[in-house]
Amino acid sequence: MGHGDLVTPILMGVMLGGLYALTALGLSMVFGVMRVINLAHGDLVVLASYGSYAVLTILGIDPVVGLIITIPIMFAIGVLIQKYLMSKAVTIGAEAPLIIAFGLSLVIQNTNQIMWTPLSRGINTSYSQASFYLFHRQLPMTYLMDLIVGIVVMLALREFLKRTYMGRAIDATAQDPRASRLMGVNTKRIYYYAFGIAMVSAAIAGTFLGMTFPFTPTSGTTFLTIAFGTVIIGGLGSMMGTFLGGIILGLVQTLSAYFLGANAQMLVLYIVIIAILAFRPQGLFGR
Amino acid sequence: MMGTKMRIKPTVLLGYLVPTVLLAFLPMAGFPRAWTLYVFLFAIYLAMANMWNLLAGYSGLVSLCQPAFLGIAGYAMVIGTWLGIPWGIGLLGGAVIAGVFALLLSNAVFRLTGVYFSIGTLVVPEALRMVFYLWRPVGGALQGGGSGYMVKGAAALLPPSYIYWMALLVGVGSMIIMRIVLRSNLGLGLAAIRDNERSAAACGVDVFRLKVYTFVISATITGLAGGIYFLNMGYIEPSATFNVKWTMAILLATVIGGIRTEEGPFFGSLVTVFLYFLLARYSGYSLLIQGVILIVIMLLSPQGIVGMLRKMRWYRNLTAYSEG
Repeated sequence: MGHGDLVTPILMGVMLGGLYALTALGLSMVFGVMRVINLAHGDLVVLASYGSYAVLTILGIDPVVGLIITIPIMFAIGVLIQKYLMSKAVTIGAEAPLIIAFGLSLVIQNTNQIMWTPLSRGINTSYSQASFYLFHRQLPMTYLMDLIVGIVVMLALREFLKRTYMGRAIDATAQDPRASRLMGVNTKRIYYYAFGIAMVSAAIAGTFLGMTFPFTPTSGTTFLTIAFGTVIIGGLGSMMGTFLGGIILGLVQTLSAYFLGANAQMLVLYIVIIAILAFRPQGLFGR
Repeated sequence: MMGTKMRIKPTVLLGYLVPTVLLAFLPMAGFPRAWTLYVFLFAIYLAMANMWNLLAGYSGLVSLCQPAFLGIAGYAMVIGTWLGIPWGIGLLGGAVIAGVFALLLSNAVFRLTGVYFSIGTLVVPEALRMVFYLWRPVGGALQGGGSGYMVKGAAALLPPSYIYWMALLVGVGSMIIMRIVLRSNLGLGLAAIRDNERSAAACGVDVFRLKVYTFVISATITGLAGGIYFLNMGYIEPSATFNVKWTMAILLATVIGGIRTEEGPFFGSLVTVFLYFLLARYSGYSLLIQGVILIVIMLLSPQGIVGMLRKMRWYRNLTAYSEG
């Protein structure tokens, strides 16, 4: 990119925002419905990145097409985590879900490390190097895909929650589990599905993150921080807020990389998140 | 109920003193070096686990930023030796800096309730690791960006037994601090908050201030233990310092022993040090195994070893006796 050209990082930041909102969606869903912050969310996203990497390198299937394989697997993993870990953890005490999710996060991280070595990987497809032009600037095609997928998944999830019985049951359980049970909703099963759906979004997010950035087994902490920051900035429960939060974080990252160099971009991102926690914990768009 | 005043029975006092004095003779009695290393690491873990238990067990603050405290204090101490500051002052100064850092940090992270607090704190060591990758406060030492510093000057020539005794002191000290804190007004306030934060606040407990106190105490002692650890290591570098492995060891020591029990970190640290040496051979799988153990214990015996011990009458008699 040329010097003095701010348009390119701004465009890229906005497009990254779609991806970040997508990454945050699963975290926000699990918190919204089960009131549990899934500390392992970042590592589960990386697990999906490795899943798509395996689909591409071992089976030779395009990772976007390969989502047919990775999505059901991640859904099943989500249901199992909720069934055997989280549903029991919440009955033990307030700190139990956090500690168990922390343990789970390290288990996933190290499983990835053992299976894939600590080397940095990337999902390289035929269109990885492709680009498109906007305002006379050459931009990577993967970033455009990030934005489109982010918007599509968010809209799809919103319609699902609004229009289907399952979606409305999830929404109802999030608002008042007791009342939902009295209305005949099987909240236990709703929790399984909610975690499963969160992992479906993680599967898609992981795939596109892996196509956009190189990743390692320890990238989970970064992804979790991005997801968390997006949720914090946007305020909880609002999809529009999540989307804007993602765009702000994307812009922070690309602009700090532009002004301060690639080494500093994650640091600036972390500092911005901590600063928002300090000065506007209710989020930029919260009351 | 006791206020800030407390009495300890002479026999209980001996229970603290005798093992400490016995262990203090370990480096001089010609035992293998590995033994002192075991006790050294045990004492460091004990101090850190106690301080995490104070936060997570008693104050409802599941902090994931303990590496930040031990790292900041460690860096302060090591960099101090480069600036000609005596290591003793560097050690205490580092602990104070860690405490002040916690005070500043509490402004940001305490606005987050419960679950949000944990992720907010998780970010802190990550950010610090990058800071120390990019920033080199004084020149020299190891080459390249992000490489660490060696301990310099007189501190580097310190006999290992001195460092060992310091670790022992901070380990036992952390037990005593827990005993005092939990029986003081602070401890009573914390118990009230834990049972019901709102009603505690309604009864005049300054919830925010008590949490800040525990956060600062925890950071200071964790920092002190960290400083001693890095004095023993002889060098410090960002990636192993601001590392989630520390968080894991501290959590494991507390959870195995029994979170929210006073004696839990003691038993837990024993097991964790044992695990540390046992798993050293399988370094690639070490954290994986630790993670599985953490989950299994949390699910099957949330009160850890102490939870199992408390089912036995002789143990309950013993603790009842030491309570006086």
